[in-house]
Amino acid sequence: MLLLPSAAEGQGTAITHALTSASAVCQVEPVGRWFEAFVKRRNRNASTSFQELEDKKELSEESEDEELQLEEFPMLKTLDPKDWKNQDHYAVLGLGHVRYKATQRQIKAAHKTMVLKHHPDKRKAAGEPIKEGDNDYFTCITKAYEMLSDPVKRRAFNSVDPTFDNSVPSKSEAKENFFQVFSPVFERNSRWSNKKNVPKLGDMNSSFEDVDAFYSFWYNFDSWREFSYLDEEEKEKAECRDERKWIEKQNRATRAQRKKEEMNRIRTLVDNAYSCDPRIKKFKEEGKAKKEAEKRAKAEARRKEQEAKEKQRQAELEAVRLAKEKEEEEVRQQALLAKKEKEIQKKAIKKERQKLRNSCKNWNHFSDNEADRVKMMEEVEKLCDRLELASLQCLNEILASSTREVGKAALEKQIEEVNELMRKEKEEADARMRQASKNAEKSTGGSGSGSKNWSEDDLQLLIKAVNLFPAGTNSRWEVIANYMNIHSSSGVKRTAKDVIGKAKSLQKLDPHQKDDINKKAFDKFKKEHGVAPQADSAAPSERFEGPCIDSIPWTTEEQKLLEQALKTYPVNTPERWEKIAEAVPGRTKKDCMRRYKELVEMVKAKKAAQEQVLNASRARK
Amino acid sequence: MAAIGVHLGCTSACVAVYKDGRADVVANDAGDRVTPAVVAYSEREQVVGLAAKQSRIRNISSTVVKVKQILGRSTADPQAQKYISESKCLVIEKNGKLQYEIDTGEETKLVSPEDVARLIFSKMKETAHSVLGSDANDVVVTVPFDFGEKQKSALGEAAGAAGFNVLRLIHEPSAALLAYGIGQDCPTGKSNVLVFKLGGTSLSLSIMEVNSGMYRVLSTNTSDNIGGVHFTDSLAQYLASEFQRLFKHDVRGSARAMMKLMNSAEVAKHSLSTLGSANCFVDSLYEGQDFDCNVSRARFELLCSPLFNKCIEAVRALLQQSGFTADDINKVVLCGGSSRIPRLQQLIKDLFPAGDLLNSIPPDEVIPIGAAIEAGILVGKESTSGDDSVLIECSARDILVKGVDESGANRFTVLFPSGTPLPARRQHTLQAPGSISSVCLELYESEGKNSVKEETKFAQVVLQDLDKKENGLRDILAVLTMKRDGSLQVTCTDQETGKCEAITVEVAS
Repeated sequence: MLLLPSAAEGQGTAITHALTSASAVCQVEPVGRWFEAFVKRRNRNASTSFQELEDKKELSEESEDEELQLEEFPMLKTLDPKDWKNQDHYAVLGLGHVRYKATQRQIKAAHKTMVLKHHPDKRKAAGEPIKEGDNDYFTCITKAYEMLSDPVKRRAFNSVDPTFDNSVPSKSEAKENFFQVFSPVFERNSRWSNKKNVPKLGDMNSSFEDVDAFYSFWYNFDSWREFSYLDEEEKEKAECRDERKWIEKQNRATRAQRKKEEMNRIRTLVDNAYSCDPRIKKFKEEGKAKKEAEKRAKAEARRKEQEAKEKQRQAELEAVRLAKEKEEEEVRQQALLAKKEKEIQKKAIKKERQKLRNSCKNWNHFSDNEADRVKMMEEVEKLCDRLELASLQCLNEILASSTREVGKAALEKQIEEVNELMRKEKEEADARMRQASKNAEKSTGGSGSGSKNWSEDDLQLLIKAVNLFPAGTNSRWEVIANYMNIHSSSGVKRTAKDVIGKAKSLQKLDPHQKDDINKKAFDKFKKEHGVAPQADSAAPSERFEGPCIDSIPWTTEEQKLLEQALKTYPVNTPERWEKIAEAVPGRTKKDCMRRYKELVEMVKAKKAAQEQVLNASRARK
Repeated sequence: MAAIGVHLGCTSACVAVYKDGRADVVANDAGDRVTPAVVAYSEREQVVGLAAKQSRIRNISSTVVKVKQILGRSTADPQAQKYISESKCLVIEKNGKLQYEIDTGEETKLVSPEDVARLIFSKMKETAHSVLGSDANDVVVTVPFDFGEKQKSALGEAAGAAGFNVLRLIHEPSAALLAYGIGQDCPTGKSNVLVFKLGGTSLSLSIMEVNSGMYRVLSTNTSDNIGGVHFTDSLAQYLASEFQRLFKHDVRGSARAMMKLMNSAEVAKHSLSTLGSANCFVDSLYEGQDFDCNVSRARFELLCSPLFNKCIEAVRALLQQSGFTADDINKVVLCGGSSRIPRLQQLIKDLFPAGDLLNSIPPDEVIPIGAAIEAGILVGKESTSGDDSVLIECSARDILVKGVDESGANRFTVLFPSGTPLPARRQHTLQAPGSISSVCLELYESEGKNSVKEETKFAQVVLQDLDKKENGLRDILAVLTMKRDGSLQVTCTDQETGKCEAITVEVAS
């Protein structure tokens, strides 16, 4: 048993020194109901200071309790207990000035005092008249206490508190002094909120966040106001279940209707406030200005960027264009130069050719004989085609400077050289071809065919045999070999293998080679079968050529005229040759035709020669 | 609202449900209130529980035991390495995670420890649903105090994978306290509780402070070399030596025979907690020879006395480590199956003569019941976000008042204990002799219990001019309120005259 000591003389309440250590942070186990309660309290931000504040308030309320002055309701004695629904319960209990703020304790106390004062027994003792039964006004006091002591009923009555101003200021009212008009309205309506800490309207200097929070709170207003007090029918009065149900339904409908109206009222209030709020206007303007500025800045930046880009692009394009132009100019210059040079060269060569032709003509083609002349002409043409500019010039100089004999010799020499060159080229090509065929033969023929020579006859025979026994013949190559052995004149025995090898190599050979062989075969045939057919074939040609040789050689003039005429009258012109003959004076239709055929032959020959050269060069490649 | 509490131990798991305001353990489909935490894998199915444990003799390499020891650990963990070396199942590391490689005859399965835990949790869920119906999934799972974040999350995920909605993971010692409702009836007062948990493989001791209904772990200690299996093992060794004496055969080399002996010894151990003697009988233990042996409780206690001594030594070491004496411990909570052993309970009672030994709930059911109670508190609450900050401000020092006892000697009484979660208010009715006209409350602060010195006095409150009473006592109401920052407000009121004095003491900055 601990007993407190008495204070020494002169000692008073005092603090010697402050506490030495502050609170320590500890780790606790997250279990148990007190932990949950603690966390909940802490998360609600109900700090100690807050808690203490609340405690203090409670204390002050308690003290106020005794001081609370009850306001006597002057009409109390005139109240009709039957009309209790329309009475002001707070006023009846003398709490008309505190109303919804009254605590339960206050209500209880007020009721007690009222009862002490107005109880019928008390009044009877005082000699006041009392009405019978429930008709006394004291019933009103009982009723009022009944309403206010029950939280649910009290809430219902509070919801329809007759002193509450339901009005909503219109927009026009708030034009001038928004805050003065709306502040009290919101203040008043905040009592319906289910949530505590209703945000205040604030003033002109409130931050955007505060204003936003204010309006979002009011737009999502959660009201506890309900209108069961105004129910027209009382459920308890119903006599049976059905009636009760019906009443309930009716009441529910009207309550919902009223609640809806209430919500609309709040909504209108907030809407009005929002539309009138000068801060909203300000924020909007600010936002707009900010946006505008941002937009402008952005646009500016974009424009600048675009300009810079455009500039750069222009510059680049310009540079490219210049470079291209320069290049093009150069190319053009070069092309022009090349063209010029080419033209000059062409002209020169043309000139030289013409010169050569002329000089040859001047010398009457170094012959009196027409045939020789034509041949010379052909040769000269050939020269013209093949000789380079330099050699042509050289030749022309010789021709111009020297006599007919020397010129002819030089010309002939040149012709000889050209012919030699051509022949060499041809020979080379032939040799190459032969080489190739031989190689092929060697590779395919192997040892067997390599040693055995194939004569022309044999080759002929082989080709014939191959054609005779086409692919698909039973044991074809044996049959061919047999055929060869029987028909061959060389007496060399050939096996099927040899024959296959040779045939394969032949297949691989150029068509030229084949042609060669064929031609050789024909030559041989001619040789074997005497001169008769040769004479046969030679005679008509000579007979044909004969008159042609007799005829006068065509002059350049005539030639030109003929060519002109040929061009003027295309192939399908009726009586073409008559017309051509008319166009060329001094020449018959026959002459013209012959001349045309001659020219055609010449052109053909020329083309053939060119082709051969081309083929040769291709083969070389 | 029904809720579930699950405790997954190394050797066994237990589930309790909270229903209609009370928590109770649910027996599984075999009728056992505790399910062995053993999972056997076969070709087509997995078996959890007693069947798996009994068939372990046959397929030792495909039966997973003590999964809790490896759950959420990595290869580098020495505990995991120890486990791998001892495990009869092949444990390999794959993708940085430890996995069991289990040969089920046809194919080789890779099973993660989380998966094994999931199977056990599924079994627990099934058991709980047998009384609750299948829509109750809210669960509180217990974890050892020394579990790391990874292990906790692995356990939580395993429970989640089994279809549970994990409300919270709580520490095993806290669950044990909650099961006895310590500090739950009123949010004031302070006491120290020792939680003695002797599980299947380990002994974990925790000293908890209960202050204002909130629990704090002051110090804890876990030793892995004492546990239920060690008791069974000593008994099995004794049986083996007995067999050798009788039949001249040493069965210690035969793994299967030893396992049979272990099973038999375990059964005997359980019955020895209630009976004076138990019979061990093993059919064809070795080479067709049956083994029959009677073990008395005294024999068992003799065999296990080194282990009992270890336990008591561990308790003493923890007390020393935390600076408490045995008298400072107000209550001792027993949990874990092996703390059923009567001898052990006796030893603990002898150690704490002043403390209450709480063993009314079966020790292996204490923790799941606590978890179920916590689940009952949490269920239906709006989501108490997982990371409840468990750091709170507490008062650092005791606030004491000086008085005199009957003999006239100075005495101190704690008015506001240290470690009280702040903010807090404490109210005391002190008494003073009625013959004096003034009362003086001298307030002191102190950290330890016996270190109250004159210079630690920080304030005094004096009530003067009180009405004198000839005899009898006067009541003085002292209210102390401390805010979160540690500042203290003291109000003293004389109950009779209503005279009041108040002071506010700030913290020295």
